[in-house]
Amino acid sequence: MKRPSPTLLARKTSTDRLIGLYRYMRKDYMLYLMILPGIAYILIFKYWPMYGISIAFRDFSIFKGYADAPWVGLRNFVNLFGKAGFIRALKNNIIISLLKLIMGFPTPIILSLMINELSNLKYKKLIQTSVILPNFVSWVVINGLLYAIFSPSSGAIQGLLAAFGYDGKFPNLLTDKSNFRMVIVLSHIWKGAGMGTIVYLAAIAGIDREQYEAAAIDGAGRLSQMWHITLASLRSTIVILLIFRVGEMMYAGFDQIFAISNPLVISVADIIDTYVYTIGLEQRNFMLATAAGLFQSFIGLMLVLITNAIANRIEPDSSLMNFAKRK
Amino acid sequence: MNKKTAPEIFGLSLNAILLFIFAFSTTYPFWHVIMYSISDSRAAMSGGLFFIPRDPTLLAYRMLFKTKLIFIVYRNTIIRTVVGTGLSVLLSSLTAYPLSLARFKGRSFFSLMIFFTMLFSGGMIPTYLVVKTLGLLDSLWALILPGAMSAYNMFILRNFFQSIPNSLEESALLDGANPLQVLFQIILPLSAPALAAIAMFYGVGNWNSYLDGVLYINDANKQILQVYLRTMLGTAGAKGVLGDISGNLTDASSLTEETMKMVTITVSVIPVLIVYPFLQKYYTKGILIGSVKG
Repeated sequence: MKRPSPTLLARKTSTDRLIGLYRYMRKDYMLYLMILPGIAYILIFKYWPMYGISIAFRDFSIFKGYADAPWVGLRNFVNLFGKAGFIRALKNNIIISLLKLIMGFPTPIILSLMINELSNLKYKKLIQTSVILPNFVSWVVINGLLYAIFSPSSGAIQGLLAAFGYDGKFPNLLTDKSNFRMVIVLSHIWKGAGMGTIVYLAAIAGIDREQYEAAAIDGAGRLSQMWHITLASLRSTIVILLIFRVGEMMYAGFDQIFAISNPLVISVADIIDTYVYTIGLEQRNFMLATAAGLFQSFIGLMLVLITNAIANRIEPDSSLMNFAKRK
Repeated sequence: MNKKTAPEIFGLSLNAILLFIFAFSTTYPFWHVIMYSISDSRAAMSGGLFFIPRDPTLLAYRMLFKTKLIFIVYRNTIIRTVVGTGLSVLLSSLTAYPLSLARFKGRSFFSLMIFFTMLFSGGMIPTYLVVKTLGLLDSLWALILPGAMSAYNMFILRNFFQSIPNSLEESALLDGANPLQVLFQIILPLSAPALAAIAMFYGVGNWNSYLDGVLYINDANKQILQVYLRTMLGTAGAKGVLGDISGNLTDASSLTEETMKMVTITVSVIPVLIVYPFLQKYYTKGILIGSVKG
């Protein structure tokens, strides 16, 4: 029998591939069964809602359903941007995200450097355990803690001031518009800074001790060592984390603001997520709410992709993609 | 031993003190709330710092436990946390294992499919509509299913599975084991740190969950702890409970709203405070597995 040419033999047709896949699936079918529940979950609760995004482009009423919901293009978005409430939410979102970034990003770094300087191991462990604690507590509880400490009626601070002879009332931080954004940012830092130190301290632990010794011999003081060695070694970690953080700017802390906000401060604290909730689930205006949500998800996606690409340029192999694709 | 210069000693001491102040700020508020809750209401009203309770009394607790609702929401939250966390860890393991195997065809496809959900989502409204369409509103499943698996946690587990030597799996397969057996009898026992970490992530997430209770549950008897707490922290809530109970007992009149709030906070947070010191190291390890390469 005449042998077919080698190239013909070597080339796999798509049918071959399908047959190969089918054979593999039969052989290792157990693996497919195992992954089935997870994939079903993802399809139902993550991808099916994505289909609902189409509401943003339709004239939708919950009573009429999808069948009777004609496409209206970008009309919902035009309406959305005409709403003062949305513009306000967008503005607050950006301001709060920026504040959290500027004030909140350096804090775990500084904290890590400080903790690193502690020589007593027991004390170090105690400090670490203490500062990570708030991370585990819900925002509702933190709201309660804020009340307990800062309440002008019987809070800790108020009582302290009174004990020192101060007559006036400490402002109610939870209802005072002018300071509320700071309350949000500071409580966010309070809750998350400790947790943030974990990654940095691990990175610091990986720095070669000899560098410090060499620097000390050359006459560098502790601060100088901190700057030139510790911080320098952390540089790539910092850059990457910073870039990812920027990618998350569209999300300004829904859980927190929803738990802590109230009608008195809403004008400075309403963010896109809380706006979507109010418009969508309280006022039942699904069209606008879905449009706002889509806007947020979409811009968020763009931001993440862009910042990821930048991060990959600076430090290859560090992008989010590799976390998902590893090996 | 290097001799420290005077400015160095000053700097280090300042460092230690500042850290102490910060650590105090992250721990004292919890102590404060607990102490307040067991103090006599009138004595506590003047505020200030509480290192020990003032005129200790468990009155407020007794009053809180007289209301049925606290037990109901607590029970709901416990059920939700236990079932939810168990299901989540199981689901994450079942999904992570095939994805960790190089031979699994479809590995990239499924990984990407799941990964994409970390970058983009349908949003609150569409997700709410899905839950509604499935008829899950006002049920325990509305709290458990939508968050059943976190892509992030699953990938952490997958990456950990990948670090387990292939030889173990291969010898088991040679002995005739099927993948399910390999997963449960070999891989999982070796993955204790990663499993503990994600169990903690899921557990804490479930316990502290607030938004889904607000979104999906309307029946007060099915509500969860954090939502109940939020209601209590609003003035109407605490007054309401006080109103209920002051009808019952004369010395309830010595209770303030404040104390009732403190009691509710304490009750909500005590399980976390107790469990935290023991599990903290697992959590720390989990973060590292997830974020630091190699």
